[in-house]
Amino acid sequence: MITLGIESTAHTFGVGVFDENKGIIGDSRKNYIPKKGGILPREVASFFSDVAAEAIKEALEQAKISINNIDGIGVALGPGMGPQLRVGASVARALAAKYNKPLIPVNHAIAHLEIARYLTNMKDPVILYVSGGNSIVTTYVDGRYRIFGETLDIALGNLLDTFAREVKLGPPYIVNGDHVVDICAEKGNFIKGFPYVVKGQDVSYSGLLTFAIRLKEKGYNIKDICFTVREIAFSSIAEVTERCVAHTNKKQVILTGGVAANKLLNEKLTKMAENQNASYKPVPFKYAGDNGVMIALTALLELKHNITIEPENAFINQRWRLDEVEIPWYYSMI
Amino acid sequence: MVLFDDIIKIENFLKLQLIKRGAESEIRLGDFLNTKAIYKIRVKKRYMHDDLDNYLRYERTRREAKILATAYASNINVPKLYAVYPSVGIIIMEYIEGNTLKDLLLSNHEKYITFSYYAGRELAKIHKANIIHNDYTTSNIIVRNDKLFIIDFGLSVYSTNIEDKAVDIHLYKRAVESTHASISNKIMKEFYKGYLDEIGEETGNKIIKRAKEIELRGRYVGERRTVWKS
Repeated sequence: MITLGIESTAHTFGVGVFDENKGIIGDSRKNYIPKKGGILPREVASFFSDVAAEAIKEALEQAKISINNIDGIGVALGPGMGPQLRVGASVARALAAKYNKPLIPVNHAIAHLEIARYLTNMKDPVILYVSGGNSIVTTYVDGRYRIFGETLDIALGNLLDTFAREVKLGPPYIVNGDHVVDICAEKGNFIKGFPYVVKGQDVSYSGLLTFAIRLKEKGYNIKDICFTVREIAFSSIAEVTERCVAHTNKKQVILTGGVAANKLLNEKLTKMAENQNASYKPVPFKYAGDNGVMIALTALLELKHNITIEPENAFINQRWRLDEVEIPWYYSMI
Repeated sequence: MVLFDDIIKIENFLKLQLIKRGAESEIRLGDFLNTKAIYKIRVKKRYMHDDLDNYLRYERTRREAKILATAYASNINVPKLYAVYPSVGIIIMEYIEGNTLKDLLLSNHEKYITFSYYAGRELAKIHKANIIHNDYTTSNIIVRNDKLFIIDFGLSVYSTNIEDKAVDIHLYKRAVESTHASISNKIMKEFYKGYLDEIGEETGNKIIKRAKEIELRGRYVGERRTVWKS
């Protein structure tokens, strides 16, 4: 069985091809990089429309197969930004209808979890999913991924990017694989008195962001501010993850999503897992960010359980929570 | 002045018998002035910066002890606070010997359901003292000589907010529904009765109504809204 997956939830238009026997055989990505500021959904959507055909062609060429040999078309219908989601959904619906292939609805967040579980070979882990739009601690219980803790306001990636932008460290936000806040924090010292907000199992970052920007305005050393923001943001999410591990007594921890490549976060989670006698692995760097491969993989798992959707019913859902999705394939991963 | 905090050595306490290790702390059994006592130790988290870790352990230990003391002074059944050393993260308190309400309900359900009435009363007393427990479940209630004791104020805060109080009720209900599914309605009926008897109909109904709203927001419950038919 071979599936093609289309990802278009935020700034990447990704097309992946996944073969049940050979694994990842095609992977094309078109990233929208803003010249200044953040993502403007309308502009990204127009960029996606321009590159969609090329990305599909590239992925199929890499996979060395024709679209006729594909068994199903998977598409991320949410969560994400409306205008971009609509591009991916339109393309997927058209392909499914024209080539008479089953269309498979994929939850973008679930795809991040499944690619991490597949590539780390961790069967039943506690998962920390951190990206520009999500900060979620989740684990599978009784048929679904349950959200154990999450951010009450902005996501971890959003915190780092917004802070970098406000204090003029970016864009670009990533330089040679490191976030500009990480680079800036290298020789910084800890400043006492920052807000550390963990409410029960949830974290909150907006107060931290405001506080950090104020300190910059007051003339504090930017290196120290970067160091402290990062320290507090990562420690609090690691702490929530630790609570989930202690509570569920699971022995594996994995990290996935766009922020998964972060060195310090990895260091903290490694130590945390040791503390709880659990093993820890991050998703490989290449598949941390948004990509079509994870959509293709999840689509394949769904297709094997006959989860498909008619093109006329394939509506996007910007707020599709990952705990709404039933996971019948959980124990029978490839 | 020599502070006791300075001469206290955490190594000594780590030799005591370990009863439970959570994410937050270790619970150890020792004695204090010749009576059995619980030592709750917030151990160092190696993944945190020293300054942050010290600050958090200090603040949380201090706050938990303060809340325990307030609760005791408000006639809530909680372990007596014996001693607290925030700078090393240690609280020494009364050892409550008994079974958790969770185990009792699991072992012989019908008989112990009325205890939920008192669980409601205790929570109302806690809320009247403007304390939010934040982890009010049947495993944090110990029954000694048919009297309920509330433990683990590790996540507790002071608040007068209806929403915060409603979260306590919501968490109790969620824990009951997942652990004692077959008798959860009876348990909750007793619980609401006890809660209202203690806090008063007017205030109590407002909080219970809010708890139901929280449940409907779907924040914790996976409402079935899948976009496809499987």
